[in-house]
Amino acid sequence: MGPQHPMTHGLWTLKVKVDGETVVDTVPDLGYIHRGVEKICESRDFTKITTYCDRLCYASANTWAHSYIYAAEDLLEVEVPARAEHIRVIAVELQRIASHLMWLGAFCPDIGNLTAFVWCLREREMMMDLLQELGGSRLHYNFPRIGGVKRDLPIGFAMRARAKLNLFLDRIQETEQMLDESTVFLVRTQGVGYAKPEEMVNHGVTGPNVRAGGVNYDIRWAHPYSVYDELDWDVSVERPSIKGADCYDRYRVRVDEMRQSARMCLDALDKMPGGAETHYSEGDPMILTKARERAEEGKTGFHHFEDSRGESMFYLAGGGEQRGKHPYRISIRSPMFITIPYAARCMIGHKVADIPAIMGSFDPCIGETDR
Amino acid sequence: MEDWVVFRTWVGDLTQMIAEATVGQTRFHEYSDGVASVMTESIMAVTVFATIMGTILALLWIERKFFARIMDRRGATMALRSLWVGEGGQHADWYDDLPFGTGKPIRWLNNLLNEKAGNASDYETVHRTKDRGYHGVWWLLPGMIQNVADGMKFMTKEWMVPAKADKFIFEVAPFIIITSTVMIFAFIPLSSNIYSANPELSLLFMMAIFGIAPFGVFFAGWSSNNKYTLLGGIRSAAQLTAYEIPLLVTILSLAVISGSLNIIEIAEFQITSGVWNIFLLPLGAALFLITMVAEVERIPFDMPEAEAELVEGWWTEYGGMRWGLMFASEYLRCYAACLLFAIFFLGAWEMPFGDTITGIIPNQDLILGAIGVGLIGLAIGLRSEFPVLLAPVPLVFISVIPPTAWLLFKAWFMFAIFVWIRASLHRIRSDQILEFGWRWLLPLSLVNLAIAFWLRLSIWQGGEWPLLIPGLITAIALILFIILGMDEDKSAMEGRTRPYSVYTKSKGPASPRSHDR
Repeated sequence: MGPQHPMTHGLWTLKVKVDGETVVDTVPDLGYIHRGVEKICESRDFTKITTYCDRLCYASANTWAHSYIYAAEDLLEVEVPARAEHIRVIAVELQRIASHLMWLGAFCPDIGNLTAFVWCLREREMMMDLLQELGGSRLHYNFPRIGGVKRDLPIGFAMRARAKLNLFLDRIQETEQMLDESTVFLVRTQGVGYAKPEEMVNHGVTGPNVRAGGVNYDIRWAHPYSVYDELDWDVSVERPSIKGADCYDRYRVRVDEMRQSARMCLDALDKMPGGAETHYSEGDPMILTKARERAEEGKTGFHHFEDSRGESMFYLAGGGEQRGKHPYRISIRSPMFITIPYAARCMIGHKVADIPAIMGSFDPCIGETDR
Repeated sequence: MEDWVVFRTWVGDLTQMIAEATVGQTRFHEYSDGVASVMTESIMAVTVFATIMGTILALLWIERKFFARIMDRRGATMALRSLWVGEGGQHADWYDDLPFGTGKPIRWLNNLLNEKAGNASDYETVHRTKDRGYHGVWWLLPGMIQNVADGMKFMTKEWMVPAKADKFIFEVAPFIIITSTVMIFAFIPLSSNIYSANPELSLLFMMAIFGIAPFGVFFAGWSSNNKYTLLGGIRSAAQLTAYEIPLLVTILSLAVISGSLNIIEIAEFQITSGVWNIFLLPLGAALFLITMVAEVERIPFDMPEAEAELVEGWWTEYGGMRWGLMFASEYLRCYAACLLFAIFFLGAWEMPFGDTITGIIPNQDLILGAIGVGLIGLAIGLRSEFPVLLAPVPLVFISVIPPTAWLLFKAWFMFAIFVWIRASLHRIRSDQILEFGWRWLLPLSLVNLAIAFWLRLSIWQGGEWPLLIPGLITAIALILFIILGMDEDKSAMEGRTRPYSVYTKSKGPASPRSHDR
């Protein structure tokens, strides 16, 4: 199946060995859209890498950009104003909702329902509008800056965001009812694609996929960065059956996470401190000066980040001789690169018809996988 | 109520007259009856075919618009409702331009809908996401011409046969599917007087023809020489065994309850005995609906073409007008299924509450009188401020609607239900439909057959049904439906015991290439 197949959600191949309709063996074949982002970044300014990070995953651009920004700030020892941190949380959580809606919208056609797809995209549209107000474009926002964000919230943003988030919380119930009360949906998702929590931990699967298996590991909660520890929210963890997490668990945990993200956004809007200090001015000499200093010391910057699909990590090595403005080396940990082989293993023993359901439920994104 | 459109009789008289006047005057005059008969049958066949082909546009329209309405899509797909609910802050006002104030009831309906189900939101900011009005020309019935455009596209496309396909079978398969589909309509009556053929055992004949197309699907899938089409074709054959038997047993129960294997007699029996079959055999209606959805291969039973895993299933390799015709034949089969449901269970071409409504009019033979009364009512209703006064008007006009139109309305209604099913359900797996078919549908259809025997042998005494029994059966069915609809095992969901976990197959052997190394 692949590289051009409706199941793939991107560009990759899943070699499937079947016995009749039963899957006997699977081999994922990745790397079709390797762009060498890590190498490109070595010749770019620290401040100019954000756009490349946006393009790691088109469904979840903001989380990847922020993921890089926190690592860069760790390297450059930049302090961020509290208001900027709140705005970042809002941007990231709105993006997480949009990404999960995109996931749900892609997962339901995989098992045959187009209605949920259109409903999810309708609600994603609201999130896109809000993110457009922040970043100026609809897919790749280039919103965060080292030391802050691009610009302050637009006038009236809080009012619009509250209205849309409340409407979203209403509407997601409708989608949830249509899926949860449909026996056909339950038949297709429950008991399909069991993933054992201990196996997932051993393979390094993170994010909603591992939380669906009952592992209470969310970076925002375990190693809180930004202002996540000040906000009012809960980690969404499923209680799976003894056999492990199935597709239904992975669906539930994402729907619950969307709710928590909306709650987080609303709370961040309430708790946001006043003031206009949202960023260092553009081309701030301090950042570049610091970069040169850090590079001479040969130090590194590093950050875990809770991406929409799991734990993303950026590892930056300082510039070194003559290259103070550029990172010497950059390394990206993609959660889906680690999850896809495990997801392919989960399919063994199931039917061919379950392949899209299982693969879809793990939320693959090939942009970040191939980097 | 009298069926006043005795079309077949008119055509018969006309052809008889023509034959008498032409052939009857020559030395072949003894063949004039035969000529008249051939002409009658040809005209009837063409009439039925043209009616079906003409009205299938309604089906396509429902498929697009009703589906889009459920899915809440934006743009011109929203046509029907957005015609009267002017959305996005712009209120529709085309009804004000209608002559003689006929737009008044529409304005009233518009205001009512805007009030009850409109998109007026407290938040101006969410208006953009709710603005999905149609801003085009309303009288074009937006979207209708799309079908013509699609047809043109199919016709201009190249016809290609894959190099490794079995060319002969690959070419023959579409013809099997299309011809068998069109043949179904030879036996579907559009009213007691409009039909193409009426053999004594038309029910058996038609179901036999209905079962041919899956073989064409199987041929198409196998001959394409492609892994996806092969899987699709085999799925189609496997599915056939699961639903065809319950379907035939359900239809047998209809034959039992009506005492006939003729479709027209089954339809007439419901009219003469006074009760539609859906009130006598609600279980049978449900089974017929489910098996018919499987028969026409729509979601949730469209595994043969499952686009997520099999790309497009058995018709992956087809293109051009052959694909278009096969797609059209899929809708024709849908139409046949809807028409059959209406004929078998919804009283065929009988007007709902027909006797009551026509009883209101003192002299029901006077159609002109009825129209006159209706016009007077219309005039009074339009002059007054309250469009509610117009309510009796359709009641009067309704009595002169020909029975064929009622049958088509019922079929369209059924198709709307088909679309509703498609919009709200997912695709089930092929092993699950086999399990469902053998463990549930077949036993239930036997129960349904037993009920039919009981009703026919011990309840029906000839003439009309005693009204208590269908009422009781309908009440029981409704209560069961509601209970089953509410059936949600909360504790199971909470405890994650997975009530629907049907994982029966053990894991396959791991190969040396497995990722365990």
